[in-house]
Amino acid sequence: MFDDRSSSALRVAIGGLAARQQAIANNIANIETPGYRARKVKFEEALQSAVARGASPAGVTPSVLTSLEPTRLNGNNVNLDHETLQHIDTTMRYNLAIRALDGKYNSLREAIKGA
Amino acid sequence: MSTFNAIGIAGSGVTVYRKWLDAVADNLANINTTTRTSENAFQARYVAARAAQDGNGAEVAGIRYGNAEGILAYEPESPLADAEGYVRRPDIDMGDQMAQLMMAQRSYQANLAVVDRARESYAAAINLGK
Repeated sequence: MFDDRSSSALRVAIGGLAARQQAIANNIANIETPGYRARKVKFEEALQSAVARGASPAGVTPSVLTSLEPTRLNGNNVNLDHETLQHIDTTMRYNLAIRALDGKYNSLREAIKGA
Repeated sequence: MSTFNAIGIAGSGVTVYRKWLDAVADNLANINTTTRTSENAFQARYVAARAAQDGNGAEVAGIRYGNAEGILAYEPESPLADAEGYVRRPDIDMGDQMAQLMMAQRSYQANLAVVDRARESYAAAINLGK
């Protein structure tokens, strides 16, 4: 009942978005660290194809990639504008996914309570 | 990785950039500090940052010191002047320090903004199922 497709897809999405938030926090913490390469988190494609295939979304794990953007003179390629926008976007998506999961739990609670 | 890690990661960045701000402030405060020619000049401090293990933010790798020789200046009226009337002045470039000050300040602010946004989503997660 708690492990239906949509709940588990939402949980994977929340996990992936939380991992992305941490990667962005890490990138901004290292914005002036010489030789640091920005990291990014991908999970949407894997989640989408799992859902499309009808496979369980629970098996999807977020993957961390290193950015191949050109570096500045100190060998660092963190772009503050990009990271800030990504962070705002990720925060909003995270809140949206939380709200959706909250809605699922609310209807379950209503069902448990009965009339 | 702990539950509220984004706050901790951004916090590590805040610490690194605050140390950098402290070093720059100290360098600027001592930009006119003269010493005897028999001693080292005031040495500017440079904070070297590095990425922490396992994506856990940034940390201070160490402090590098500027030129100990400084610049010899002819100031015979100074109480620190040697027999020929010379003192040592620190070899610190004000423009360079001001540029560093701005970089450290902006990076500090960027990290605090991350803390703020992360707090927002964790608050949403805490209220899940209420």
